Amino acid sequence: MSTSFWIRFLGNPRVLLGLIWLGLVVIGALAAPLIAPVDPFAITGKPFVRPMDGFLFGTDSLGRSVWAGLVHGARTTLLIAVIATLVAVAFGGMLGALSGFYGGLVDNLLMRITEFFQTIPSFIFAILLVAVLSPSATSVVVAIATVSWPPIARIVRAEVMSLRSREFIQAAVTLGERDFVILFRQILPNALSPLIVTGSLLVATAILTESALSFLGLGAPNFMSWGFMIGAGRSFLRDAWWLVAIPGIAILLTVLSINLVGEGLNDALNPRLRTP
Amino acid sequence: MRLVRSLALVAGLGLTVISLAGVPALAQKRGGTLVQITQPEPPTLGSYVSTANPVGQVASKIYDGLLEYDFDLKPLPSLAESWTVSEDGKTVTFKLRQGVKFHDGKPFTSADVQFTFMEVLKKVHPRGINTFAEVTAVETPDPQTAIFRLNRPAPYMMAALSGYESPILPKHVFSQGDIRTHQNANSPVGTGPFKFVEWRRGEFVRLDRNADYWKPGLPYLDRIVVRFIGDTGTRAAALEKGEAHIAGFGAVPYNDVKKLEKLPNIQIVTKGYEMLSPVVELMFNTKKAPFDNAKVRQAISYAIDRKFVIDNIWFGFGKPTNGPISSNFAPTGLYSADVTNYNVPDGVERANKLLDEAGFPRKADGIRFEITHDITPYGEEWRRFGEYTQQALARIGIKANLRYEDVATWLKRIYTDYDYDVSSNHLFNLADPVLGVHRAFHSRFIRPGTVFVNGVRWSSPRTDELMDRATIEPDAKKRAELYAEVQKIVVAEAPLAWTHEISFATVLDKRYRDVIVSPLGLFSSFDRAWRE
Repeated sequence: MSTSFWIRFLGNPRVLLGLIWLGLVVIGALAAPLIAPVDPFAITGKPFVRPMDGFLFGTDSLGRSVWAGLVHGARTTLLIAVIATLVAVAFGGMLGALSGFYGGLVDNLLMRITEFFQTIPSFIFAILLVAVLSPSATSVVVAIATVSWPPIARIVRAEVMSLRSREFIQAAVTLGERDFVILFRQILPNALSPLIVTGSLLVATAILTESALSFLGLGAPNFMSWGFMIGAGRSFLRDAWWLVAIPGIAILLTVLSINLVGEGLNDALNPRLRTP
Repeated sequence: MRLVRSLALVAGLGLTVISLAGVPALAQKRGGTLVQITQPEPPTLGSYVSTANPVGQVASKIYDGLLEYDFDLKPLPSLAESWTVSEDGKTVTFKLRQGVKFHDGKPFTSADVQFTFMEVLKKVHPRGINTFAEVTAVETPDPQTAIFRLNRPAPYMMAALSGYESPILPKHVFSQGDIRTHQNANSPVGTGPFKFVEWRRGEFVRLDRNADYWKPGLPYLDRIVVRFIGDTGTRAAALEKGEAHIAGFGAVPYNDVKKLEKLPNIQIVTKGYEMLSPVVELMFNTKKAPFDNAKVRQAISYAIDRKFVIDNIWFGFGKPTNGPISSNFAPTGLYSADVTNYNVPDGVERANKLLDEAGFPRKADGIRFEITHDITPYGEEWRRFGEYTQQALARIGIKANLRYEDVATWLKRIYTDYDYDVSSNHLFNLADPVLGVHRAFHSRFIRPGTVFVNGVRWSSPRTDELMDRATIEPDAKKRAELYAEVQKIVVAEAPLAWTHEISFATVLDKRYRDVIVSPLGLFSSFDRAWRE
């Protein structure tokens, strides 16, 4: 990444705002055991304590601290979203690369499989997977990754196909480089920009999916998460707004920040938007 | 036949009951429509094949039973004017009411009773199969007499003859065709105070006044409309606005019940669930270490702060308990408070001591052992109860990992595969311990694949024997003694930790009077309900 990239990326105020919020969330998640040194499920106070009344963000219906839930929830939510995205990118990227590089029968076969996954409504599919695998952190990651990889495969395939016919690749082929070397050393590094952009946006989708699953009670039962907090607090919306509003705002800001950063990445990496 | 002793043989009692309704100073008025919210929509209206809660809420207005019950669970006449039980308890004779007509105009006779019990309830009713197992024949010497012949005495049977539990069906309608899939399931014909008119799926069931009802002058209401509203918030709003008038069984969540209670037009009624009496229990897999050790089970029972659970999870709608039999049975003498009391202020200390004694000292990390707690997949209260249990166990050094599965998987895990450590559930006591309590810890009910029975796989020869004797013991006092001993043993052994009785709450519009007048509450006929 060149200096001009960083200037264009960080010079964008929206990206800066997004990065600041994401930084706070990541710090909160990493420092959770220090800034909220209790089990987020522990009953630490009276139920329904209002925010700022001894507890920064109040307590829920069982007397659990919302602040502790928020920072520990950030851990779960971010961890699951990031791992699921990495799995999806690795798997989708691999499939897309093979498909684009070899073409023909391999391409046909892999793309039909991809289409099969694309035709199933993704959230319903995720619910089904979690229900079948029984809710746990692993099954949530598996479910999110399973419904997220097809777009990655498509994008990588398109990139690989266009790079495949470039002269420098043909030169490498002529030089007798092996397929995998060409794929990993020559093609994929050049296909990285769209992958980074899509991947970063995928994290936002993964957060939403994880939250929605937890909201429905299908999240990892031993991990506090933002979606779970909203799901548990939803029936008290009229008496205890903070139970839903606080984690809701956290999800909103985080997803928004990731989108801003992703868009900033896209703008900064897009050669057509590059100022000379 | 020697009919020596009679249980409540009072020919005039039926009249007394009707005149009792006239005691309040307010004059009952004819007319008006009651809108009842039932959640979810029933799958069928055939209450003789399905005991699902919503079915009973609708069908109980259409079908009468042989008997009704007062709040002390004592039987009252209904379609049976009087009844006698023989000395040996093996013959029960019902004198049936004359001049009763089904909604299609045909008269009700003993042939209908015979058909209902022998051909329907004994064969296809989920609980009737068990309740009426001892009934070998129903004899009909004349149209107004039905004689039940029993293999062995079954005093509990007398508690299961309401229009909800044992609806009397017209033989001329239901004897044709397969009873399990009968076309009249969803266009029911009974003798009850309200006639079925229309079921618009997803919207409502309309029931109109039965002008030829056998109770003179009843019912007061012109119509009952049972509405099905999927969304919780909309249900509460409909009651708040007075568009709907009654809802029970958790159709409105407890925290919303608290809010509705403050409104001037609404009252909250907790009576009317006395014949159901759900008791919440923690279930232990007693065939698996460490739960094969009674001290471990007792420790966990001590660790549950019942008041916290009731106040914060059930929002006050509950009553702490220690044993399997609900205090609703106190009037009948079957409930005993003379059992180990686990609900003590120093419960955590006692629990820690018991676990030390049981040979599970805390390790360096403060944890004695690790288990999996299966959350009951019934909704929010149960989820929070599971989370609370995890916290309560953490305080006594047991690390509980939570597992949450769908209802079918969970039922299979608990009642078929027995592949669990600790879970929770609530069983209805129903009208008698034989029907609702024995199933939880009698050896006969260790039946893989049958749900809501002895999933903890605990039993003892002594408690089995006591329960078997109580099953056929006609003398109320002796029965009470037998059950007192059962409760003492089983609470001390703690194969299950009974924590509290759930009080369901009925949200009722104050303009409607005399709606909840029976221990069956929403499962009763509403024949005396009236609108101001």
